Amino acid sequence: MTAIVETPASSLDLGILAGDWRNTNADGGISRIVCRPIDGGRLSVQCFGTDDWGSVEAPVYAFAFESKQAGAFNAVFDLGYEEVHLQANVKAGVLVVASFNHIKDQSGRSSYFDREFFHRIATA
Amino acid sequence: MAEPSYSRRAHEDVTRSGPPPRIEAEVMDGRWFKTNDKLQWIERLEIDSDTDAGETYVQIHGGAAPSPADWGRVRCDLLFANAADTANARAGGFIAHYDFDDMRVEVQANYNLGLLVVATFVNFKTPGALSDRFTREFFFRG
Repeated sequence: MTAIVETPASSLDLGILAGDWRNTNADGGISRIVCRPIDGGRLSVQCFGTDDWGSVEAPVYAFAFESKQAGAFNAVFDLGYEEVHLQANVKAGVLVVASFNHIKDQSGRSSYFDREFFHRIATA
Repeated sequence: MAEPSYSRRAHEDVTRSGPPPRIEAEVMDGRWFKTNDKLQWIERLEIDSDTDAGETYVQIHGGAAPSPADWGRVRCDLLFANAADTANARAGGFIAHYDFDDMRVEVQANYNLGLLVVATFVNFKTPGALSDRFTREFFFRG
């Protein structure tokens, strides 16, 4: 199950973020992230771990208040046992993804922080 | 009693017994100063923990406009360990939120190798000339 979040329309250019991103580490926890522009300047983010997590709408952000270029997004995936907050930004052509992973079940695992890197194989 | 772990990432398949260990957030306590000499979004911040209550608080002091001079002290909503399979649960980060008159800010910080990396997502409540912004800045403990 994934979070359903209505994000506000954005006037930012999504070109830097849009595309099919693959983890630079074959053993990474998140293997693939697909970012698709949708109506109203919004961004859809689909993640794959050991399976398809589904898609969520993610608010997008510029690197400067005066900029009209989106360079980052903040996506939240509710996987049931865990809520994953993805902090993603593009730096030098690399999608840098910090994940703040909030474990909600009774498995005894700790919530944890992780960081992974993705390269783009196709633009959306 | 712990329940069998379920995961959608391979590295999360960790078998543990008992409740999760307490995250040692107090390792992040202290006064943190920016590593960059130039004016930036966050000038400095302070973190303090109440280990009995299991709560951690952050107070941020702003730098470049429209960052408020004093953001106030808020409780961190979520705390995170620095590894998925850790047993000691040494702190690896936190998420906190600020709600100002004209903007909401989500603070996401991670702690590693003596450095605090603080990211913010700035959302203006009313669309205007300024775009919603992502910041990522670095701090050392003073």
